[in-house]
Amino acid sequence: MKKRHIAIFLLIALGWASCKKDDHEETHEKVTLHLHTMVGSKAADYTSTFTSESGRAFTLSDLRYYLSNFVLIKEDGSEVPIAGTVILASPNEHEWELGTAPSGHYSGIRFLVGLDSVTNHGDPSVYPANHPLAPQTPSIHWSWNTGYIFMKIEGKVDTTLSATGTPNADFYYHIGLDQMAREVTIRDMHVHIEKGGENSFHVAFDLLKALKGVDMRTERATHTMDNMMLAQKIADNWPESFSAE
Amino acid sequence: MRKSYSPAHFFLLALTLGVAASCTWDQSRVDWGDQIVMPEIPPGFSMPPIPDDNRLTPYRIELGRRLFFDPILSRDSTISCGSCHHADKKMTDGLSKSIGIDGQVGIRNAISLLNVAYQPYLFWDGGVPTLETQVLAPIHDPKEMDFDINLVVERLKRHPEYPALFYQAYKAGPSPYTVTRAIACFERSLYSSTTRYDRYVLFGDTTALTASEKRGMELFFSERAECFHCHSGFLFTDFSFRNNGLYEKYADSGRARITLNPDDVGKFKVPSLRNLAYTAPYMHDGSLATLRDVIEHYNSGGKNHPNKSIFVRQLALSEQEKEDLINFLLSLSDP
Repeated sequence: MKKRHIAIFLLIALGWASCKKDDHEETHEKVTLHLHTMVGSKAADYTSTFTSESGRAFTLSDLRYYLSNFVLIKEDGSEVPIAGTVILASPNEHEWELGTAPSGHYSGIRFLVGLDSVTNHGDPSVYPANHPLAPQTPSIHWSWNTGYIFMKIEGKVDTTLSATGTPNADFYYHIGLDQMAREVTIRDMHVHIEKGGENSFHVAFDLLKALKGVDMRTERATHTMDNMMLAQKIADNWPESFSAE
Repeated sequence: MRKSYSPAHFFLLALTLGVAASCTWDQSRVDWGDQIVMPEIPPGFSMPPIPDDNRLTPYRIELGRRLFFDPILSRDSTISCGSCHHADKKMTDGLSKSIGIDGQVGIRNAISLLNVAYQPYLFWDGGVPTLETQVLAPIHDPKEMDFDINLVVERLKRHPEYPALFYQAYKAGPSPYTVTRAIACFERSLYSSTTRYDRYVLFGDTTALTASEKRGMELFFSERAECFHCHSGFLFTDFSFRNNGLYEKYADSGRARITLNPDDVGKFKVPSLRNLAYTAPYMHDGSLATLRDVIEHYNSGGKNHPNKSIFVRQLALSEQEKEDLINFLLSLSDP
């Protein structure tokens, strides 16, 4: 008798669950991240001369950063984690596949600038060649202290006192280590994920905001471990450097 | 009379049939180079951990050996792993600090690679978790090979012989994955041999050690000399990180370079004591030229440092005791 009860209960539950699905007509859609890397109001690239917060001219030769642990935030506050997606962002690429998410109204996105500690200390050589965590050329990984560089910013900057010259001196900011990963949450977005829709979260990263408070004339180098203060200053700026676009 | 057959009879029958079958088996079809082999470890050693995706096969070990001694891994094709790990010096280089590309002096003393399969982390500061990931470090270090694993792979793909050797060993061409696996595989095939000390403790050969060496052994394992607290186990290391009072101020922060913890400044991984006869000079920076210098250092209790191990303190050893300790340490070397 007991078995029969259970069977009836399961049937009812199954019927109810399938009715519920029909009501909402929820589908799973591919979701993309549209990401622009900016220097103030200009799109970042490796040819232009940019102006720093304090009016100092600089150029970029490398600007790459890891984003991971994406979570999509629905309007009702519920969250849809996107497992396993890692992006190695750079100025030249704007469109990234995030994964799939249920259709509905979304109001925000959360992600990590950097990587979780397990991924961070893993073996890069196990990933296929086109994977963002595979060894990159130029490298974005510390091989003597196994871990990825979360954000690599390199270029030349004008170091004249009056800031009236041209970019002449190298600067490099290599930010990594578990404790430098920062969570970023962007709210007040309106993304409607639906069948046949654009299904894209539009986000901008502003390098000038990431370098807020950095005196590019005197603070020109950190490999994180050798200049923790400067690395931390930049990492602490990350949450404010990303915004909805 | 009724004959009865026990299960043992059936087993023997099966075995006989099996042997008979194997005689007719075409042995030429078995590719022995592709068979998984066990590392040839000396008596008294435990089986080292070997990753499932990189079991030892003769093809892999041979490929790894060739890569290890091939300067193709460095930017200007002048430096190989073997440049700092010489086979005739038990895989060390006899220098205080190793010399890399363009004659640059590295930051530390090259460690022996014999028994490296047992290391739970690599380098003096333990900054790298596996032998496979370790391979990336010297390739990328601007003071060692100053190159890039992807560019190494490009070179190997263009090489007349390597691609076939990679397919033979890993069923795949050169890639960061197969390059790091092959070199690690070769390194996991390197072991020390049976020493006079091993013959004494494992086989009960009481004549294997001299009277002086036996006295040195007593001292080594005594609370008076304290050596065995860190230099324990069949490799004479517990793989811990210790500050042994070499300096008051360390030019090289050691373990703290990885952890950034001030309590780790001047701590380095306790090295194995096997093959000291071949691996001078000693310490992380090769600053002590002889075993006599090492014993004098520990006898003095070393310099003051807040992180210094409690086991490093003045010992007041007699000249005879120092001699005995040195003799014992030398008995841990391969014949």
